[in-house]
Amino acid sequence: MNLTQILFWFLSALALFSAIMVVISKNPVHSVLWLIVVFFTISGHYILLNAQFLAIVNLIVYAGAIMVLFLFVIMLMNLNAETEPQKNKWLKMAGVIGGGALLLVLVAALKDADTRNQIAQTGVGDIGLIHNLGLVLFKEYVIPFEISSVLFLSAMVGAVVIGKKE
Amino acid sequence: MNAIIISAVLGVIMMFSGIFLKKNSSIAALAILGIIILLAVTIMEMSGYHFFAVDTHGMLFFDAFGLLFNCVAFAGTLALFLLNAKDIAAIGNNPGEYFALIFFVLCGIAIASSFNTLLMLFIGIEIISIPLYILTGSDKRNLKSNEASLKYLLLGAFSTGLMLLGIAFLYGASEKGSFFIDELAIGKAAASPLLMAGLLLITTSLAFKVSAAPFHFWAPDVYDGAPTPVTSFMATVVKGGAFIAFIRLFGDAFVELKSQWQIFIAILAAATLLIGNITAVFQQSVKRMLAYSSVAHIGFMLFALLTLNTLAREGTILYIAAYSAATIGLFAILAKMKDHGFEGFNGMARQYPKLALAATIFLLSLAGIPLTGGFLAKYYMIASVMQTGHFLWLVILSLFCAAISIYYYFRVIQAMYFKEGQGQHLEVSAGFSGWLIVLAIIVILLGIFPQWLIDRLYIIYL
Repeated sequence: MNLTQILFWFLSALALFSAIMVVISKNPVHSVLWLIVVFFTISGHYILLNAQFLAIVNLIVYAGAIMVLFLFVIMLMNLNAETEPQKNKWLKMAGVIGGGALLLVLVAALKDADTRNQIAQTGVGDIGLIHNLGLVLFKEYVIPFEISSVLFLSAMVGAVVIGKKE
Repeated sequence: MNAIIISAVLGVIMMFSGIFLKKNSSIAALAILGIIILLAVTIMEMSGYHFFAVDTHGMLFFDAFGLLFNCVAFAGTLALFLLNAKDIAAIGNNPGEYFALIFFVLCGIAIASSFNTLLMLFIGIEIISIPLYILTGSDKRNLKSNEASLKYLLLGAFSTGLMLLGIAFLYGASEKGSFFIDELAIGKAAASPLLMAGLLLITTSLAFKVSAAPFHFWAPDVYDGAPTPVTSFMATVVKGGAFIAFIRLFGDAFVELKSQWQIFIAILAAATLLIGNITAVFQQSVKRMLAYSSVAHIGFMLFALLTLNTLAREGTILYIAAYSAATIGLFAILAKMKDHGFEGFNGMARQYPKLALAATIFLLSLAGIPLTGGFLAKYYMIASVMQTGHFLWLVILSLFCAAISIYYYFRVIQAMYFKEGQGQHLEVSAGFSGWLIVLAIIVILLGIFPQWLIDRLYIIYL
């Protein structure tokens, strides 16, 4: 067992443990903090695969921006035990059955999908480096890249239209 | 490529027009000038003038079908602007921005009619959708408009998620791992479960975007709540754009798998025809009735998706042109009215004979009476299904549904001509009634010389 494997198993175990803690924590703020740990461990996995850019973006976007939004929402809603909605027992059962049925359908659909017999290339692939990403983005995918600016511009115009005082 | 770049630039120009132009009427005039330019450059591209040499890496593919549809869509928008530009500017306090958003939607339509990879399909559909969420809610003081916008945003975002999941499945199912639609399904004898899952999800999502039953539930509420000129735009030009994307995707990527999905599309068309027509009968408001009628017309258009033959492609263009002209005309009259109920039309023939005459021609075209564009459009669709030799039950069902539709369209004509009533006062200028008559003449010309439009599919100098 070399060092990469040890790191992989350590990160995987930590990711699973903190993911479970997200679900079972009573305090929502603790849940969010555990979720940040999950994102860090996943970023660790990306670095193992030599995808530095993805790792950093994952941290900036998820652990940075989205988690702050989560925390804001939780603090604004002021969640505690009294305000927690009482969930119907039958509703819970229905949720379990619905989720289970979806799992069955997905397993049935995906069991025939052949996995490509490739071992993960840890530390050697260079596809995730920012150099290659830039080359692909500005050469092969330059059209979708530029055209998505229209999408963002229209979203921005829309935000101004909606937000401006009448 | 002309249309994509010019429409985005025009959007930016309209965005800044509010700084320099203070009067609503001058902004409206600028928008009309813009859409004329856009139409002109698209026609020039069809004749072989390319202003921009862009290497798209095969991601966009311009053919006569897509370009001709763009012309129809831009001409429809021109008609909308000529009739309703002042109403659009008067929705709220940001007239320039409303036109900017409409030009961005047109950019998305130009992409959706020329995509060659699923990536561009997704970006195109999103550029169409996001400005529409805002336009729907642009009448901020109206609670119904707010509700419609929120409903549209939530359901639209959900269907976009389904589309992304479908695209991911299709990517996984393609042999080389590619987004290009011509590499998706080539050489597969039996469709893999991954491919079918992706196809199902993407069909669901696009059926939502064109509001085919049973994914139509958002349409009546959103069309009813949105400001009337925006409804007119959404029900015609935008719907056509989403439908062209649908046809291109299935026609180019999945045509070999026809036997797998044909029955599914047939059921979709039958359900759309039945639900659209039967529910339209019970509506009390003309605006809502037209919303259901737009659902019903999508049922007919789905015939083209079912067959995907030459007649279907010709018929799609004709159908969208005839349906858009008639619907834009009717919504233009509705935009001038306060009361959108059937009673609002009482005695209109005496007060505004020109308007009533034009509205009658539009309604006759929607009902599919001979000598109007709507009749030939329906004829092409049914003929394309008859050509396949299957699905006779669908043809019979569609004729039955067309008969139902006559009832609710003629109710408006009856109210205009045969009911006494003090109709409401409409502020219509001479120009408005003039353009409305021109539009009515176009509807009739489409019914007499459809070949003029359809021949454009085959005359092209690329």
